[in-house]
Amino acid sequence: MQQLLSAFGIDWRLLIAQAVNFALVLVALWYFLYKPVLAMMARRQELIAKGVVAAQEAEEKLAHTDTAVMERLQAAETEADTIVAHARESAQSEKARLLKEAEARAAAVAADAEARASEVASRARRESERDIARLSILAAEKILKEKYD
Amino acid sequence: MRDMHEGITVVLKAEHLGSVLGFPITNSLLMAWAVMLLIIGAAYFFGRSLTLVPGKFQAAIEWAFEGAIAYMTEVLGSERLARRFFPLVASIFIFIAVINELEFFPGVGSIGLVHAAEFLPVLRAPTTDLNFTLALAMISFFTIEVTGIATLGFFKYAGKYVNLKSPIGFTVGLIELVSNLGRLISFSFRLFGNIFAGEVMVLVAGYFLPYFLPAPLMGFEMFIGLIQALVFAMLTLFFIKLAIMDPHEAH
Repeated sequence: MQQLLSAFGIDWRLLIAQAVNFALVLVALWYFLYKPVLAMMARRQELIAKGVVAAQEAEEKLAHTDTAVMERLQAAETEADTIVAHARESAQSEKARLLKEAEARAAAVAADAEARASEVASRARRESERDIARLSILAAEKILKEKYD
Repeated sequence: MRDMHEGITVVLKAEHLGSVLGFPITNSLLMAWAVMLLIIGAAYFFGRSLTLVPGKFQAAIEWAFEGAIAYMTEVLGSERLARRFFPLVASIFIFIAVINELEFFPGVGSIGLVHAAEFLPVLRAPTTDLNFTLALAMISFFTIEVTGIATLGFFKYAGKYVNLKSPIGFTVGLIELVSNLGRLISFSFRLFGNIFAGEVMVLVAGYFLPYFLPAPLMGFEMFIGLIQALVFAMLTLFFIKLAIMDPHEAH
């Protein structure tokens, strides 16, 4: 046994030294490598999970706003429709009113013109009657004059 | 190991370079310190440079960690256990793998001191020193046993090996106990033997066909080095799994 140990150079002090070496490597790697790397991976995973949740929330919010916008748009459209309908209606009634007014005025103008025309005509007749009377008197005067002369 | 004109000399044990305060310093111990410095330094600077949006290197490391933890979760059946044993298993792999990959690095085994007409390389891969592999095997062994006792309780765990209910059970328990203790030897000699044999093979190949054969063999041995690191880490993982399994569910 002793021979075997010495052939392989086994020395309990070296054994312990190498064990301590490995222990040091283990502790150092634990502290400098495994812990930070695993922590970084965990942190990234957490961030990704958070990101996914946030994305889902954002999507939901977006869908919500979409429907809200649609609702508003619809409301605005119906409102616009009623406004246009109102406007059309009032335009129609205004048009009718203007038409009636215009007709009335036209009728008044026509009546006025007729009245004036008939007045002119009657005056003309009166004047011609007077002229005729005067002419007939003159003619009678002339005839009488010729008879008596 | 040296290739001199008179032939090949293979030295089974790590060479003594001297001693500090009565403590022996071998070339494999020096190399272990150098590799530690390298690993810890790299880990320190890498750990400080982590970013939330990873670069390619960081992504690769994270991918490896994630894959390892996923695999360990599958083996151990619980993510909590996988995360608890991940540092040990990963450190075993990293330490052995880096040592094995640096085994044929220029300077390792070729730069040395000449002492009493003997060439003493300053650096020697610790995986070719039984002190190192045995130390790792012991750490692995104790972790496995302590985990078994902590998970199952002392008596239940001991019941795996000392079974007085039936003669067959007793024999099986005895065999389990011996094979369990045998892990210390199989763990340490598997790693030592594989890496040491690789070095010897490269040495012999260099003796026969100096300029062409060693390089591809070195590449192959570097691959073997990775495999052995993986084997050591995986066996530790599997034995932990065996240790925490309830004896009644084990079969």
